[in-house]
Amino acid sequence: MKSNLDERTIERLCDAVLASEHITLSDTGSISTQLTDAELREAEKLELAASALMLATLDELEPMPSHVKARLRVTAQQFLDENASPSVATQPLEAATHIHDEIIATPQRRLFDWLGWAIAAIACVVLGINLYLTRTDNNALIVQNPTPTPVSTPTLAQQREMLIQTAPDVRIAEFKPGNVKGLEGLRGDIVWSDSKQAGFMRFSNLPKNDPEREAYQLWIFDETQKPETPIDGGVFDITADGEVIIPITPKLRAKNPSAFAVTIEKPGGVVVSSREKIAALARVKQNQT
Amino acid sequence: MSASILKKIAAGDQAAVEECMNTYGGLVWSLARRMLRSTDEAEDAVQEIFLDLWRNASRFDPLQASETTFVAMIARRRLIDRIRQNQRRLQADSLEDILTEPSARNDKLLETSLEAREAAKVLDNLRPEQKQVIQLSIFHGLSHQEISDLTGLPLGTVKTHARRGLMQVRELLGLKDSVETEASV
Repeated sequence: MKSNLDERTIERLCDAVLASEHITLSDTGSISTQLTDAELREAEKLELAASALMLATLDELEPMPSHVKARLRVTAQQFLDENASPSVATQPLEAATHIHDEIIATPQRRLFDWLGWAIAAIACVVLGINLYLTRTDNNALIVQNPTPTPVSTPTLAQQREMLIQTAPDVRIAEFKPGNVKGLEGLRGDIVWSDSKQAGFMRFSNLPKNDPEREAYQLWIFDETQKPETPIDGGVFDITADGEVIIPITPKLRAKNPSAFAVTIEKPGGVVVSSREKIAALARVKQNQT
Repeated sequence: MSASILKKIAAGDQAAVEECMNTYGGLVWSLARRMLRSTDEAEDAVQEIFLDLWRNASRFDPLQASETTFVAMIARRRLIDRIRQNQRRLQADSLEDILTEPSARNDKLLETSLEAREAAKVLDNLRPEQKQVIQLSIFHGLSHQEISDLTGLPLGTVKTHARRGLMQVRELLGLKDSVETEASV
């Protein structure tokens, strides 16, 4: 399948995927914050190609050491707990699982299991209908295309909307300009979910930065860290005018954040910010914490 | 064909999380060990990669790539993030060390990833310097400028080699998509 994108765009995407231009690869799957859907699809193809090349040069597989696997089991259990319905306890991963399954599980519990999945399925259908009804003209053209196409990655705007609709603990805070001159017209907000450990920033009038000279960096002030050492929420560039949405990529697990700050730092970001240039600041209202 | 592990995880199958660790634990660990070259760091990275994998399980599209390649993609993203985060940069004297040719290809791995087999074909047809650029870029996350500095190749040549190798594999994967889509209709 040949891409319809122009050569220059393809080259730009290649460079990004080849990790040559410090464009952050976020865990939401986008290689940049201002790519079109078509560019995102192509970028993912290129990422898969790069990964295939990586696999082709991997000469031997080492088994994962048992202590690493044991630690991973704990992480897995946390993941299962996070994703379990509040009324349904998750099954432990360890060998004791079978004791639970056949002896303790009651028909009532199974009914709740079924109900939980049914409610989730209904929610997905409702969300799907909502996205369909609110699609743009551009999306309509894609729907009319009779050629089978792979399922596309949701746009950042869609991902943000889905987080707001599906995360039970989502917080929303408004960004205000910080202490940097010329940013008085900045507007924006931030959404964050502790349970999903995911969030998005949305800005208007945040100026494009020169990636060779500086970068924007998000800081998360939460209850796990002292105010002097907030969590690094990720480094990002602004490469387009207008409204932009940027996924949050915290380096540590954030819990109950009270504020978010965006500073201007050197390219690649810093470990500790001097806070000389605070571009934007958002405080979470108390009734959300 | 049995349902993919990631599809099962996306559907809420808790046992599939364990199956995922058992199936891809060796692959993810090996990638982390090779790219990060520090056991402590690799251990932390493995936790992050699997968490990313489980959270993004629903995004796996079997029509686009094999599950193995998708797992490698998620792993690579996180590993490159870590390389950058640590500001690890290779020294010129370590170039020979990191570019040692694999003694033998891992056939078992190639069996599970059609894309890796296609990529291996492309690599086999590249000149040594092209292969070197691809390895430094893909596996070690070095920028074009850094590769140029390390190898002495002009920057333009580095860019051309890296992009061309990647695009060749991408074209092969594109052909594969068409064939599989037709076959499955």
